[in-house]
Amino acid sequence: MQHNTLYLRRRIINAVMMGLSLVATLIGLVWLLLILGMLVVKGAGALNLALFSQMTPPPGSSDGGLLNAIFGSLAMSLMAMLIGLPVGLLAGTWLAEYGRKQPLAELVRFVNDVLLSAPSIIVGLFIYEVLVMRMGHFSAWAGACALAVIVVPVVVRTTEDMLRLVPDTIREAAAALGAPRWKVITLISYRAARSGLVTGGLLAFARISGETAPLLFTALNNQFWSTDLNAPMANLPVTIFQFALSPYEGWQQLAWAGSLLITIVILALNILARALSAGGKGK
Amino acid sequence: MMQQTSLQMAPPAPATGATNAKVSIRRLNFHYGSFHALRDINLDLREREVTAFIGASGSGKSTLLRVLNRIYDLYPGQRAEGEVLLDGQNILSPRQDPNLLRARVGMVFQKPTPFPMTIHDNIAFGIKLYERLGRSELEARVEQALRDAALWDEVKDKLQQSGLSLSGGQQQRLCIARAIATRPAVLLLDEPTSALDPISTAKCEELIDQLKDRYTIAIVTHNMQQATRISDWTAFMHLGELVEFGDTEQVFTRPRERRTEDYVTGRFG
Repeated sequence: MQHNTLYLRRRIINAVMMGLSLVATLIGLVWLLLILGMLVVKGAGALNLALFSQMTPPPGSSDGGLLNAIFGSLAMSLMAMLIGLPVGLLAGTWLAEYGRKQPLAELVRFVNDVLLSAPSIIVGLFIYEVLVMRMGHFSAWAGACALAVIVVPVVVRTTEDMLRLVPDTIREAAAALGAPRWKVITLISYRAARSGLVTGGLLAFARISGETAPLLFTALNNQFWSTDLNAPMANLPVTIFQFALSPYEGWQQLAWAGSLLITIVILALNILARALSAGGKGK
Repeated sequence: MMQQTSLQMAPPAPATGATNAKVSIRRLNFHYGSFHALRDINLDLREREVTAFIGASGSGKSTLLRVLNRIYDLYPGQRAEGEVLLDGQNILSPRQDPNLLRARVGMVFQKPTPFPMTIHDNIAFGIKLYERLGRSELEARVEQALRDAALWDEVKDKLQQSGLSLSGGQQQRLCIARAIATRPAVLLLDEPTSALDPISTAKCEELIDQLKDRYTIAIVTHNMQQATRISDWTAFMHLGELVEFGDTEQVFTRPRERRTEDYVTGRFG
């Protein structure tokens, strides 16, 4: 008898908690869906070929595109990956393969976690202080460096996590054949963790492709086509920021289109990353 | 007690001082940090014969095996004292390059450890570490290793498939093939069949029997029948000590030590 009331109580509590969790999930999802829906409704109309073939227009104009901003974003993101990926990869490798539980490794891990959650505007200010002030002007270089600072902790973290998933028995087996440490790492550990490492890179790329704050202080923006790395460079996030706040109808339209574009790219990168890591586990 | 043991071991022909010893272990002590895992081990592995190491879990059998190719070197805090002579050279000497040593002393582990690459590349990996071969030579060596490991017929049509696609028993034979492809002098087998089904186990044992014509083999096993089936010599270890070492038949039928008798007859362990 007592058992039954106890069981009934647990079932009720279970049902209540389940209901609350469901509501919480829905609250979270609703906003995401609203944002996506809003972007599609407002931005889809402005998605056209001109977006990719024309420069950002002068104020008041109703045509024009985002070509210079798209190019700038791509260029700076790629440069940031070029700088940040090797650094992150090497640091993550050291943590997973050499440092392990050493005090220095624990310190690096802690600092990396802090960096991982540091507000990106701080990163922007830091590069502003270190590069922009010294050079005396905004530049694409500074933008790339700011983005690279964001790339590094993401890649360090994923690299270490993925390499630690590789069982030590495989490392031992390779070492037992007489393979020196660096060959064990490059030929065995990296290969075993390959899909995870690629995933980490993609996630880092997705992360920086939407960053606005670090670019605001470093690359600034540019109304015109520019490939000069020593000059301010156009980019999508800051362009969206400026155009969305402007009173001009045409600019606002472009901001919507740019937002939709970035969201689609980030969504695609995340889906690709998930697919890759799922494929890696399947083997 | 310990002294009595080593005294008993020393004089008879099979024990230390044999002329055809490939590996001679002298006063070997091993520490995991502050834990004393091996105590004063003296033992010879005879050339082209199989020596089995038996004993309960934690007796130090695997630890001893891991000293012979210095794989313990990979981990900080593990250290060995004493001498291990391979062809008369002390491999524990700091002047011994551990990678070159491991190229001469192959090892197969408890769980199959195929590398995440093709079957062909699994074998070629070890060969290419220390030898520069032309393509046809390399192919011949890969084929030979797979034939020696009795795996060739099963994989000859799928050399470019992943090593991970093989069954457990095949993976383990792939690992044996990989270990012998580099033509080592000594082969260390750490419970190589404990993760395999009976049929794969029988295949591996048959293989070990064939391999002893060319290799000096040390095998750790929890399976008494396996030890009696495939080994020429048996070493019984208990809590880091070598309790008894001798001819396999003698150890199993007329053990000198009470502890050995208790273990091989299943009264403790």
